[in-house]
Amino acid sequence: MRRASTSRSLRHARWQSVLAVAAIASAVSLPVILVSVGGGVDAHEIASLEQTGYQVVVSAQGLHGIEGAHQDSAKLLALPNVVAVEPILSIAIDLFNRTGNVSAAIAEGIVPSQFGATLSPTERGLFSWPLALGDPNDTEHYADGAYDGPTSYDVLLSAPYAQMNQVTVGSTVVLSPTTNASLGVRYNVTGLFGPQGSLFEPAGAFAALVLLSNLQVLTDYARGSHTVVPDGADTIEVVVAPSTAESPSGLAGVEREVQAVLPSYTVTSVSSEAAELRSADGILTGFYLALSSVGLAVGLLFLALVLVRRVERDRRSIGIRRAIGLPQRSVAASILEDGAILAAAGGTVGVVAGVVVVEGLATWASSTVKEAAQLAIFAPAFLGELVVGVVALSVAASAAAVHVAWRVDLLEALR
Amino acid sequence: MSASAAPLVELAGVARTYAEGGAEEVRALRGIDLTLPAGAFVSVEGPSGCGKTTLLNLVGLLDTPTSGEVRWDGRPVGLRTDRERSRLRLETVGFIFQRFYLLPTLTAAENVELPMRALGRPRPERRARAVQLLRAVGLEERARAYPHQLSGGEEQRVAIARAVANDPGLLLADEPTGELDSTSARVVLDLLGRLRAERAATLVLVTHNPEVAARASRHLTLRDGRLVADRKEA
Repeated sequence: MRRASTSRSLRHARWQSVLAVAAIASAVSLPVILVSVGGGVDAHEIASLEQTGYQVVVSAQGLHGIEGAHQDSAKLLALPNVVAVEPILSIAIDLFNRTGNVSAAIAEGIVPSQFGATLSPTERGLFSWPLALGDPNDTEHYADGAYDGPTSYDVLLSAPYAQMNQVTVGSTVVLSPTTNASLGVRYNVTGLFGPQGSLFEPAGAFAALVLLSNLQVLTDYARGSHTVVPDGADTIEVVVAPSTAESPSGLAGVEREVQAVLPSYTVTSVSSEAAELRSADGILTGFYLALSSVGLAVGLLFLALVLVRRVERDRRSIGIRRAIGLPQRSVAASILEDGAILAAAGGTVGVVAGVVVVEGLATWASSTVKEAAQLAIFAPAFLGELVVGVVALSVAASAAAVHVAWRVDLLEALR
Repeated sequence: MSASAAPLVELAGVARTYAEGGAEEVRALRGIDLTLPAGAFVSVEGPSGCGKTTLLNLVGLLDTPTSGEVRWDGRPVGLRTDRERSRLRLETVGFIFQRFYLLPTLTAAENVELPMRALGRPRPERRARAVQLLRAVGLEERARAYPHQLSGGEEQRVAIARAVANDPGLLLADEPTGELDSTSARVVLDLLGRLRAERAATLVLVTHNPEVAARASRHLTLRDGRLVADRKEA
């Protein structure tokens, strides 16, 4: 009977109850959206990282790049248990199509013969093999650091760019380090990669793949300057022999060997990067929850006000119950039950609303937001804990109403 | 279900003052000495503001005296905690108010079940007893009606059924017919008299209506907080 009477009691104060549920629901939906989308994106990144073809990364944190990338790569390739080494230079450039339209793009300078081994199976599927970039080992133009050998000036373009700029295989585009086309170099479009209308990377929908030496010359990374190093690269990705890569100790041994060859640079394993990303994801989740706690606090405060308001309104009913002989704890239990029901309803509605919003974004939002929403992960355990947590907090929110009910003067209430 | 034994209630030098020591101090009762034996039918009469309801609240353990002592079966109730007094009220006292005071969110049957639920009686048992009591007051067909769907007379009959739900030995009725028409008032008084007799309960009935008071076998008259008359029928 108590449940029936409670639900009727809540219906009795319908609008207050609806507002309390709405306040809690809006507060709960925020962490549902943030954590599910944020966690989903992070999980996707971690999964992508773990599926890459390379296991060890050399980077030049805090420096102007890795100097002598071609030579360093050759040294690493000579190490036992290393099967491929790919130096990569990534730089934002401007792409000019046949009509002179300019688009910002990410250009990646690579060594074609090594590139495929560093990709995940999914990434490999985005390209036609072998890559149509002329010199597979990028040695002719590099010419032992002279950069005076012949080159083909071939470029592979991402399908979204080609689609939007009416660029086809066989045509030419100008790659320039600035918005001034006259400072650029004309390249032959020898192929496209990636599915039409999709994203290569979140920030690299428009991307160009060229020989490492070509990009180095275009952007001063060949000769070096006061801001960049000669024969420079951002990272060197190292592919370890599968039998060694499967063993943590074997992988650690390769890491040490790489570090010994390149002592000035930072050497990390992909697995440790994934672990760092997981740790960062945990911190981010905590931040999302902390951010959401503000909204939740407001929602619970509103719940407390609604319950206090109800107690004020129900003073006579409380007086009648106590006059009959019902103990005060019975009245308190009734208030706590009301609070818990409202909180559970608000929490459930909030979870459903959060899921609906994310699904809506995954269906109707534009580009990056849509893609991020599609990666969302709704962990039942997290959602359940969220609702249970809100219900538990409702006890604290109900405490004020219980206190007011406790102080109701019996005779005053019956007057 | 056996009826609770009606307590012997004694008031010795009881006074009740509201806002004591303040500028608006009200001395509702002064030096009341009174014994209410088990099974008595007592009316409390007097003009408005003479202290009738205050007396009823003190006898029914809703209030505590400013001075003096209220004893139940020889034991002072002032020494009991609020929780103990609540329990005593639940088991031994049935209240009937002038304005009925049914809980608006409960049906008639649920209102009658309320005191039994507080005592922890099993649901089927209290359901059956609620139906039985509503039948006794002639409202079995209205068991699922909410208070706002009942007439004043019907509400008071439900309130009476609720008051006797736990078979209390002491029934306290504060102007039970004050808000009813004469026909409904007669039905309610007949009902009260019958239930009291069946249960051998003590009934204290506050009224300023002489016709209502005439049904009692003992008549107390209050004036300005003092007991000025205590008349017993032969």
